Amino acid sequence: MTLFTLEAVTLEVPGRRLIARLDLILHPGCVTALIGRNGSGKSTLLRLLSGQTRPTSGQITHLGRPLTAWPARDLARALAYLPQVTPPAEGMRLAELVTLGRYPWRGALGRLRPEDHAAIAMAIARCGLAGLEERLVDTLSGGERQRGWIAMMLAQGARTLLLDEPISALDIAHQVEVLGLVQRMCRETGLSAVIVLHDVNMAARFCDRVVALVSGQRVLEGPIADLMTPAALARVYDLPMNVTTHAGHTFALPA
Amino acid sequence: MRRAVLPLAALASLGLWLLAAQASLPLAQWPDLPWQPDRMQLPQLLLTQGLMPRAVVAVLAGALLGLSGALMQAVLRNPLADPTTLGTAAGAQLAIVAATVLAPQLFAGGNLPVALCGAGVATALVMVLAARRGFAPVTVTLAGMLVGMTASALATALTLAEGHYLLSLVIWNGGALTQDDWHPAATLALALIPALAASALLARPLLVLSLGAEGARGLGLSAAPLRLSALALAVGLSALVSAELGLIGFIGLAAPAIARGLGARGLPRRLLIAPLAGAVLLSLADSLLLVLAALGGPNLPTGALTGLIGGPLLLWLLPQMQAHVPPGAETGTAQSTRAPAPGRRMALLALVLLTVAMLTLFAGRGPAGWGVIPPELRESFLPLRATAILAAAAAGALLAGSGAVLQRLTANPMAAPEVLGVTGGAALGYAATVFVHPAPGQLALALGAGLGASLTLAGLAAFALRRDIAPARLLLAGLAIGAFAASVLSAIMASGDLRAWVVLGWLAGSASAVTPAAAMTLAVLALALLGLMLALGRWLEILPLGPDVARALGLPVARLRLGLILLAGLATGAATILVGPVSFVGLMAPHLARSLGLIRPVPFTVASWLIGALLMVLAAFAARTLGSPYDLPLGLCATLIGGPWLFILLLGKGRA
Repeated sequence: MTLFTLEAVTLEVPGRRLIARLDLILHPGCVTALIGRNGSGKSTLLRLLSGQTRPTSGQITHLGRPLTAWPARDLARALAYLPQVTPPAEGMRLAELVTLGRYPWRGALGRLRPEDHAAIAMAIARCGLAGLEERLVDTLSGGERQRGWIAMMLAQGARTLLLDEPISALDIAHQVEVLGLVQRMCRETGLSAVIVLHDVNMAARFCDRVVALVSGQRVLEGPIADLMTPAALARVYDLPMNVTTHAGHTFALPA
Repeated sequence: MRRAVLPLAALASLGLWLLAAQASLPLAQWPDLPWQPDRMQLPQLLLTQGLMPRAVVAVLAGALLGLSGALMQAVLRNPLADPTTLGTAAGAQLAIVAATVLAPQLFAGGNLPVALCGAGVATALVMVLAARRGFAPVTVTLAGMLVGMTASALATALTLAEGHYLLSLVIWNGGALTQDDWHPAATLALALIPALAASALLARPLLVLSLGAEGARGLGLSAAPLRLSALALAVGLSALVSAELGLIGFIGLAAPAIARGLGARGLPRRLLIAPLAGAVLLSLADSLLLVLAALGGPNLPTGALTGLIGGPLLLWLLPQMQAHVPPGAETGTAQSTRAPAPGRRMALLALVLLTVAMLTLFAGRGPAGWGVIPPELRESFLPLRATAILAAAAAGALLAGSGAVLQRLTANPMAAPEVLGVTGGAALGYAATVFVHPAPGQLALALGAGLGASLTLAGLAAFALRRDIAPARLLLAGLAIGAFAASVLSAIMASGDLRAWVVLGWLAGSASAVTPAAAMTLAVLALALLGLMLALGRWLEILPLGPDVARALGLPVARLRLGLILLAGLATGAATILVGPVSFVGLMAPHLARSLGLIRPVPFTVASWLIGALLMVLAAFAARTLGSPYDLPLGLCATLIGGPWLFILLLGKGRA
């Protein structure tokens, strides 16, 4: 079964067509990078996949079922979405933020059960945040806060993670930390992830597959190695790039 | 198309004015005007010394207010700033009312020095707070509205204490443009010319300042003296108009917004177009009223109408306008400390509430002075007092609870039933019921006010909640609705209809006329709201994180928003129906709860509920005792108690 299937998906806002008749299949069990220039529609595509936005026309299915046919809480148990800018969590402790991830399972009134507490503890541990549970989210460092939000997504128990530029505000150490976490998650527990990324080298290092967009149209879909050629990069970024290899990793640099 | 709006509106205004002028003196006789007052007959005098200067005054005052608002918005980089929202106009009003009532000899030098003093002090208070919070627009507006509210409450208290001044002050509050000679016109014109020159000088430095204080310093401009002089100019202009004409709200807010909506990009253009827009707006409003009066309608003060035109216009312009907020400017408001033991604080609050309720039940001020109620009077007095206290507490709890829910829903510390125009809508519904129904009973009035509140909320929901709620946008929409309601109500007041006094009595708010059954109903509703808020804690925790996160977690965001808004509207409606649109308890109580460190949804909403009840019990006590044997308005006392307290709290928290 495919993770996502898009059939002739179009999204229009007054005066502009953001996504134009997009057909696409995304595969489960791997990390997929969404690549493209600013304004190419990658964040929009991620919002469409998460059900945050409905397409103007066309159909999106997740695990063989149209997104529109998923009840909201069922979808939240299957899909976790991290917006590009995480909102301030005023006065909230880290553990409380992660606990919010259990909402799709327990609703507004249900009491948390032992398995909920186990999921929360597991998520905090996996993200390397043990010991920070009582800290206020707004006082954490950028990397810790981002991992806190990812821990909330893990506590959600969703098998698919959708992340919109999760590393754009982080230093390189935190970038590696966050992407490494997502990659491990998919390798070890069979989760799927779709990540909007700006940095092709980070994509090459941590992602398995790639979808590249130009003006709302798909120009590339395949294994990440397909992206790391001067011709493909020139097509996506309209910029001459050199590709070199060092210690088994491929790098792209502006020529 | 857009370019033609202002000239067309100006033409319409001129046409309407001619229509009205024609009614007092037919156009054919105009060439025979002698132009010398001592040789004129009454209709000729009315035209040349009344209507003509009035038209000129409207244009000049509108231009001055528009310029004042544009300057304030430029200095503070705040699309919500204007003489009304910064408390400037209310300060001038309070100074004039206080001088009229307490020390008339102060007017020896004319109105202007007195008005200038009041306007200056009020604005300075707001600016002291603004400087501490990095001039964050929402905080500045909050502080300005608080200062304005407190000043208006004081002014109303003063007028009510000296009952016979009431009528003249109602008219003064509404901003009457009626003229009997050319002196005010000359004064305003003499002020406008140097004011325009000064703003031309300030335009380019202000443009540089719009990059922010750091950017301006990098370009060799020091921000403080520039801000001070531009602000002083704006305050001076507003005080001048206040001194000559009274309170004409909203022009200073609407004119720059209109200028932006008409595509005036860049500060120098906006400083030029805003006075023009203000002039056209006020002139159009005044001409409309003149025609209405000439056709036999009521003679209404113009200030009452500016909101009528300005409110809907602003609502129409809002979608086109990007209410920009400088990035990071609002971070100061998010810094709060969290109480280590919220349960203990809530228990303490509940204890304080019960103690205060018991104390005010038994103690008070009777004909024999202060003391505990004597045993022989208990049987007759206590049930009455208990009913009033219960109604006040329940109403306060309902308002504060819905304020807390709205704040969580919008993640906006400014959201409150009063700010969002809900109480204004309830007041309109009440007034409509009084006027439409021949003999309205409690139930009819309750339904009318509730319907008004719900309609307002539904309109606001349809307008602002369709997309993600930008705080500044929602706020402007609410302010517009509030101004609309206020202007309709002051028009009703000024009409002199006897039924208006019923509405006025209710507007001020009084818990003493409530029946025991109504008080019990209110208490049951308040308890139901408390139960709901406890049950909805998890939703209220997720919603402030924004619609994206809430949707990703599977919350039915649209339905939830609608439901919570209706809940808040019903709670507000229920409270306002019985005790009047009490001022700002719904805004103050949640702020006080937050400043006590109660931030998590359940402690926050419960503490707001308790503080709202406490505030209103205290207000009811003050209302009963301060003016004994007469009752002071309840809402006024609530504002007087809570306003300064909240202001000090905001001030004390300091820079983040």
